[in-house]
Amino acid sequence: MTSEVREKKIKTNGIWLNVAEKGDEGEPLVLLLHGFPETWFSWRHQIDFLSSHGYHVVAPDLRGYADSDSPPTHESYTVSHLVADVIGLLDHYGTAQAFVAGHDWGAIIGWSLCLFRPDRVKGFVSLSVPYSPRDPNLKPSDLFKSFGDGLYITQFQEPGRAEAAFAKHDCLTVMKKFLLTTRSDFWVAPPNTEIIDDLEVPSTLPDWITEEEIQVYADKFQKSGFTGPLNYYRAMDLNWEILAPWQGYKIVIPTKFIAGDKDIGNEGANGTIKYVKGEMFKSIVPNLEVVVIEDGHHFIQQEMSERVSQEILSFFNKLRNITE
Amino acid sequence: MEKIEHTTVSTNGINMHVASIGSGPVVLFLHGFPDLWYSWRHQLLSFADLGYRAIAPDLRGYGDSDSPPSHESYTLLHIVGDLVGLLDSLGVDQVFLVGHDWGAIIAWWMCMIRPDRVKALVNMSVEFHPRNPSVKTVDAFKALFGEDYYICRFQEPGDIEEDFALVDMKKLVNGFFTSHNTRPPCIPKSVFKYLPDPPALPAWFTEQDVCFYADKFSQKGFTGGLNYYRAMNLSWELTAPWDGLQIKVPVKYITGDLDPTYHIPGTKEYIHDGGLKKHVPFLQEVVVMEGVGHFLQQEKPKEITDHIYGFFKKF
Repeated sequence: MTSEVREKKIKTNGIWLNVAEKGDEGEPLVLLLHGFPETWFSWRHQIDFLSSHGYHVVAPDLRGYADSDSPPTHESYTVSHLVADVIGLLDHYGTAQAFVAGHDWGAIIGWSLCLFRPDRVKGFVSLSVPYSPRDPNLKPSDLFKSFGDGLYITQFQEPGRAEAAFAKHDCLTVMKKFLLTTRSDFWVAPPNTEIIDDLEVPSTLPDWITEEEIQVYADKFQKSGFTGPLNYYRAMDLNWEILAPWQGYKIVIPTKFIAGDKDIGNEGANGTIKYVKGEMFKSIVPNLEVVVIEDGHHFIQQEMSERVSQEILSFFNKLRNITE
Repeated sequence: MEKIEHTTVSTNGINMHVASIGSGPVVLFLHGFPDLWYSWRHQLLSFADLGYRAIAPDLRGYGDSDSPPSHESYTLLHIVGDLVGLLDSLGVDQVFLVGHDWGAIIAWWMCMIRPDRVKALVNMSVEFHPRNPSVKTVDAFKALFGEDYYICRFQEPGDIEEDFALVDMKKLVNGFFTSHNTRPPCIPKSVFKYLPDPPALPAWFTEQDVCFYADKFSQKGFTGGLNYYRAMNLSWELTAPWDGLQIKVPVKYITGDLDPTYHIPGTKEYIHDGGLKKHVPFLQEVVVMEGVGHFLQQEKPKEITDHIYGFFKKF
């Protein structure tokens, strides 16, 4: 399936990114941005599908991941750095405006791209993570404190802490704990427990992923480690400072939000799905479609690959006035 | 001057002192280094008379506004964030923007990242230069002008403050504001041990003006203002997303032919032969004022008011 995917290194924003590519370079460009803790491989189904439906697909390993560069300190992992990495990729391909899809942290990068460089985005699909307007009076770390030390984001803050916790398991197990999770809470571990110890590995694999595929991730993280990816979380307060100029900004670019109804943070009355269907979200992202996939969990573009591929394709095609 | 109102606005985590007067479309005036709202005292009064609401803050780090301690809180994104918060708290959607010196740099970047909040811009003394992705801002100045160039001398926290403290504050203020020296300001440490007495005050800068600035900077110090320079390399990192993007706001640019920035090699050609226009395609007018130095809005207040008004009334 991934045999015709080309991989190459591209210099952007002072670093080298490893980029997977498929499809005709003359076709419109789709940029796919993975999440935590993943690689371009998470998009393998969409890479094949979209490239065989008239798109030139580009999926990087993001800064800090796999075969891309990993600057050492968290200060180099702000959304400014990440968006500039992406702009550099678009410039490399000579793309004035791209179709963009992002999942998890890739969605946060995509939303930031819509704030910083709306001129470079034709349409944006976000998976799992909606746009959260900045609260001028509440820094992220203060918000997270209210969830206690068990919240995974809080546990990811202190340099070295999560790395040490993850290292107690082999990489394959770590990857299974993340990729196969069916938890819909906000990922809060019980007292005195590291989240990686609290996440469970199911006894059998679901039908949407194989042992070999999980091993692909394990091999990459075995080599590159988790500090780069964790640095994204460690830069959250910096991001909040950087985003002050976009306080109250409305994102008018056409966007589509896709999530499984059993994704992280969908449990309970104040879940993500309720938020994205609400008036508040619509007022700041007025040009929005919402798709909720029944029984879908967090790693939705792998778990429900055909559905997600179709939803992404139909959205981008619609923006090009193409109907299937 | 008594008619100018002084208020404190809470914005982007700081308390900002704002001087304002008049009613009508809002004109926001941004001062530079080492300056204050007071730089715009003439324009505040005249624009109120012309039917505008004129607003001039003390920017973060200056005068009666808050000064967060770390230079990392003084990037372009912090300051633009302050101004967006200010506009939001005033309920103002779009402003006419005027900038001078560091205020001009802030204004260029406000137009770059939030063009939707700016109707038109009159900027003074400092042109827009796109970021060079291969070399950080301060490193570039050091390579061009050496480590005694003022921007380089301003980098080390506490260092230049020590040098400034050797000089009587009123003498320092006079030296900053009234000098017509056009050489690139290189200020090795030795310069501060014997600073010649500045010439007598020019007509446009009175003893009262000197005392106003001397009082404020004696109270506050220079560190807040110096932090803008200390954050230049950090701003360079954080503004990478906008490489290659043009500034798409109508602009009028004014400088004095005795402004040291106008004499930086390459500047005249850049401004007049299309370099600036390439990055600011809606640059509509360029004015070079003869015999005028860096602090144009104080040296020639009426002419500057006329230039600004003449431009803004087109919109």
